[in-house]
Amino acid sequence: MRDVYIVGGALYPAGRHYGKNIDDMAAEVLDKALAEAKTDIEAVFIASSTAELANKQQILGAYVLESLGLDKIPVFRIEDGDGSGGAAIALAHHVLKSEEYNCVAVVGVDKPNDVLSNQQQDIYATTLDTYFERYFGITPLAYAALMAKVYLRKYEYRYEELAQWAVLMHKHGANNPYAYLRRQIKIEDAINSELVSEPLRLYDIGPLADGAAAAVLCNNKKDGPRILSASVSTNAIPFNLRQDYDTLYSAQEAAKKALEKAKVTPRDIATAEVHDSFSIFGILALESLGFVKRGGALAAIREGDLPINLSGGLKSRGNILGATGVYQLVEVAWQLIGREFKRVDGDYGLVHNMGGVDRVSTVVVVGV
Amino acid sequence: MKHESVPIYWRNIPHYYRLVAKRCKKCGAVYFPPVIKCRCGSKELEDFELPHEGKLVEFTVLYQVGTDFLKQKPLVIGLVELSNGVKVVGQIVDVQPEKLTQGAKVEAVFRRVMVDGKYGLVMYGYKFRPVDGV
Ligand SMILES: [Zn+2]
Repeated sequence: MRDVYIVGGALYPAGRHYGKNIDDMAAEVLDKALAEAKTDIEAVFIASSTAELANKQQILGAYVLESLGLDKIPVFRIEDGDGSGGAAIALAHHVLKSEEYNCVAVVGVDKPNDVLSNQQQDIYATTLDTYFERYFGITPLAYAALMAKVYLRKYEYRYEELAQWAVLMHKHGANNPYAYLRRQIKIEDAINSELVSEPLRLYDIGPLADGAAAAVLCNNKKDGPRILSASVSTNAIPFNLRQDYDTLYSAQEAAKKALEKAKVTPRDIATAEVHDSFSIFGILALESLGFVKRGGALAAIREGDLPINLSGGLKSRGNILGATGVYQLVEVAWQLIGREFKRVDGDYGLVHNMGGVDRVSTVVVVGV
Repeated sequence: MKHESVPIYWRNIPHYYRLVAKRCKKCGAVYFPPVIKCRCGSKELEDFELPHEGKLVEFTVLYQVGTDFLKQKPLVIGLVELSNGVKVVGQIVDVQPEKLTQGAKVEAVFRRVMVDGKYGLVMYGYKFRPVDGV
């Protein structure tokens, strides 16, 4: 089977883009990525979490192609909530490995700022079980808060230590030209921010942002970083029946498979982008992916600046919902070659993208 | 109705009104929310009403809520362990959040969940309240 390379990539600056339609934003990044790849594509995998709910658009891929005058290409829409991008990358990777196609594009796009913030809460809550969780007013934030409470109590950390996540993310994000919140913060900013679901505060949430990202993947051109593996795992245990509340089971399983297939260990990874839709998920991801031991993530952050989420993560780059995984892939690829980011010292990078509260995770291993 | 159609609500009434779970006839595993196949492989599942008493394992006070819950803000969301060991997540009501503690004894109560602003339809379901009151 032939290897899969990232031969082109493009990012839209995350933010509030009131003057753009969702299909046009996606088309702009796809066009840029194609110009860089200098190749034709045979299919498009488009990841979006909320196109119907926030932007009232279905069959999104066809309208993206219309914007670029690209005719007759098959388009596939992938939806796994805020894990859509990772799922689309994994699927594109599998299709290229099977050699059904030689070059395809993965596009991630979401535009949550077309609706008001309370409606965004309604929409994001549909990533939970709509009949047994969302119906009662439960949101992903509430679950993140419960998990944070369990974690802090179990490993005897204070909230102030969890707040370090936001500080680290903003420090990294300040260097990312595509980040939504591109400024450093002090620990006091996080600690004094509004209480949203105790113990979590506003700075524990990755702010929802409009954005789009595209990557052109080929198995017949050896340009650019290589995708060594891409694995997806779901966690079918409902929140109330979980064994424990400080493991991301979907991340753990996807990482195990992806690292095995790529024949690398967590120690070989020079840079990782993990899904910190809430600060506690970033912490739990570090542990579930095997970068630090259980209960050790906050201590590790206290002791040093980890090469995690050099983009700023969902906290500072922004949570672009279904596009997040595609952002992460392009960011890791660019960090490995030193493009638009400082080059990391090492040959392997990892992407962890998650849908909902530990419902589905994709782990992608990239190498140069 | 804004988010919930009438058929969706009606078909979930046994679960919403009486905490009806599914229990596997073969291995005894209990599922809430209900499933159609047990992890042991059996499809022989029967309705099973969960006990209505339990204790609070963990809770959070949620200040950022969706449009249907703005009037009830903040919501107290709790993980409750029922007397048979099965856990359920739900709203904790009739409390002063600052006085609520882990381990508090709670019981399931039948309450209004939301009122549809457009048609005035009222939807109900289970919530939990501390037995000793806080
Ligand atoms: Zn069974």
